[in-house]
Parts: sequence; C-alpha cells; structure tokens
Amino acid sequence: MNVPIFVTAASIAAELHQAMLEAKGLALTAKNARALAVRAGSKTVGFKAITHFIDELASDIIRQSQYINGVSENLSQQAVMLWRASMAAEKFYWVSQQNNAFNESLTVPMEQCFAEKEELSGTLQRGLRELEQQLEEGEKHIRTANLIATSSKVEASSAEEFRGQLEVIANNITDTADKIRTHLSKARSLLGQR
Amino acid sequence: MLATTIYEDGDHRWIMFGRDTDKSDGIIDTNQYLIQSGDEAILLDPGGIELFAPMLSAVLKFVPAEQITHLFASHQDPDIISSLGLWDQALPNAKLYSPWLWESFIRHFGMERIEFCAIPDEGLTLTLNIIQLQFVPAHYLHSSGNFHVYDPKAKILMSGDVGAAMEPVDAPLWVDDMSSHSQKMRGFHQRWMPSNEAKLDWVRRVRNLDIDMMAPQHGRLFKPPYIGEFLDWFEQLPVGVAIK
Repeated sequence: MNVPIFVTAASIAAELHQAMLEAKGLALTAKNARALAVRAGSKTVGFKAITHFIDELASDIIRQSQYINGVSENLSQQAVMLWRASMAAEKFYWVSQQNNAFNESLTVPMEQCFAEKEELSGTLQRGLRELEQQLEEGEKHIRTANLIATSSKVEASSAEEFRGQLEVIANNITDTADKIRTHLSKARSLLGQR
Repeated sequence: MLATTIYEDGDHRWIMFGRDTDKSDGIIDTNQYLIQSGDEAILLDPGGIELFAPMLSAVLKFVPAEQITHLFASHQDPDIISSLGLWDQALPNAKLYSPWLWESFIRHFGMERIEFCAIPDEGLTLTLNIIQLQFVPAHYLHSSGNFHVYDPKAKILMSGDVGAAMEPVDAPLWVDDMSSHSQKMRGFHQRWMPSNEAKLDWVRRVRNLDIDMMAPQHGRLFKPPYIGEFLDWFEQLPVGVAIK
C-alpha cells in the first residue's frame, strides 16, 4: 500500500527538523572554534577565517531547514484536505449511482468538491516539486560543509599546541555534515517513494 | 438502510433512518432522524463517517440537498457527528446546532463551510419553516453538554441516548413489551448515564411535555403506554454504577 502523501510530507518535515537541530549544533561549533581561534592568536589565523564560513553555513542550513519544514507541513495539511475532498468525491459518486429522487440536488456540491480536489491536487504537485528543488539545494550545503571540514583539518595541522582541539572541531563539522546529509537523504528517499 | 416515515402531516414529517444491514459489524447501530417542514429540513444526529454515503443516499430519496438547511448534534460523540467533514462538503450552506460546550471539539471533525450555531445551556427554540423545534437540555445524559429535540406539533421527543438499547440490526422498530425491553436498556443506562440528579431532573421536565413518541438514537422507539413506563423505569434506575 502506498504511504499517503500527508504522512510522507509530515515525515519529511520531521527529518528536516532533525537536520535543523544538527545545524544549530554546527552553529555552536562555529562559536567554540572562533573562541579557540581568538585564544590561539596568530597560530590559527587561517582557522579563524574559516569559522566565519562555518557560522554562515550553519545559519544557511537552519534557514533552509526551517523553510523546507514549513513547506512540508503545508504540504501535509493540503494533502489531508485533498484526502478529505477525494473521500467526499468518492462518496458523492457512489450516491449519484443510486436510485434517489433528489440526486440532481447534489450536482453543485459535487462539482465544487471535484473542482476543489483538482485545485488541491495541482497545488500539491507544485509543492512537491518545490520540495524536491529545496532538498537538492540542501545537498549543496553539505558539499560546502565537507570543503570547510577539509580546510579546517589542513589549518588544524599547522596550529601547533592547538592542533588537537582544532582537529576535534574539524571532525565535529564532518560528523554534523554527515548527520545532516543522512536526514536530507532520508527526506529525498521519502519523497521518491510517493 | 431502513428509512421509515414515523410522522406525517401535510409537508411536516419525521423520517427515521437506521437498521443499516450493510454497516461493519463492529459499529454500533444508530438511528438518524430527518424533520422536514415545507422546503426546510433538519438532520438530527447525522451519524458517523462510516455511515455518510448510505445516509446521504437515503436522505436524497426524501429531500433535495439544498433543502437540508440545518443539522443538529445532540453531543460530541463520533457516532453522532464524525461525518461532519463530509456533510461540510455536501451541505456548504447548512447550519449546525449543537451544545456550545462542544464547539471547539466538534470542529475537530472538520467544518469549514457549515456555520456552527451554539445552543446555550438552557436550550433554545428553532423555527424550521412553519414549525418550532425545542432543543431541550439533557446535560449529563450522558454527555456533559447534551440536548434532545422536542417537536410540540408532532409531539415527538428525540431523546438521544436516553431510551437507547443495544439490539441486533434486525430488531423491531417499536417497543412492544417494557419488561423484556428494559433488560436490553439496563446496562447501557446504568453505565453511560453518570448522574442520578440529572436523570431525575430530566424525568421531571419530560413528564411535563405532551409526547406521543419518544425516539432514541439507538434501538427501538416508544409510543404510549411505553413512554410512561419508560419514565417510571428510568426514574427508579440507579445510574453511574461504575464507581465502586
């Protein structure tokens, strides 16, 4: 049995919510990295520059996750409305096939219901396409995160006594990026199952 | 679904719908009522979502959709009004009369087009074309916000869960022996009705109404002498028995 779209959309929203929480962790990592870079002074000039990128990236991911989350929740609501309209349309059709004296009186509500169903269906398809594009956009952020993680490791290697701490931060970025990627992949896979 | 005209006087009639042999086994059998007066009609306790299609089909045998101007939900239970989201599509211009207490709960069933008309605790009188219907308070019988419908012209009281009996779908329509029928009502009333005080208050008020027919939401309907016998029986029945 196919999973109803409103369940899929709600599940995608949940994945994006998790991605957003991870991104908030990334923002915290950026703050820690900046504090460390300030303490380390000239030994970590390169790393200090990178912290701005980490912070910016975290903000972008949070913003985008929130946006996708909103789109998904809207889609889920619209899908519920479509399900209701479809159910009503199905029942109306059944009634129209019965031998009832006043079936004709159902014509207007029936037509309105079918029109609403069509409109909702169109809105839903457009929403799903937007969701797909937004998730693709999310993948770009992950690629950026990986680049930043690699640069962080390079900079960490030349930070002498701060090397260990900076490596922890660089690994943290890699781990977070992986977790966000997993959530995005799950979201895309859910979208692909519809 | 069985549709029976239980009262008719010119263009004023009561139709009872129920005894649906096609419904799923696990679903309680319910009585729905349509009161028509000229070109206006009200559906009383239109039923659950599972019942919507057969109910709409049965109703359209008697009145066109645009003449169903009003709906009434005696309380919030799913067997009473969970079909609301679908009636909302079928009767976009209708008004739903229901206890004020349940408005924010009933809206969970989905209601975007139908207008909610809150019945205050003391009840109100609704004019349906040329007849007047009284929404009679029946709070705590069983729901904490609950109304019955009295039609003084037809002398019919739609008594919701009061007088209800759990019976097979092919049970007769009318009570024909109180001593055997009371056995089918006892457990339901004792468990579902929580308040002896509310019960006695209701019996006292209903004794003052001129009633030719009492029409509950489940089971058989009552005519004299069984209406009086029911009131006597209910008056002495201890309710709210789940408190040990």
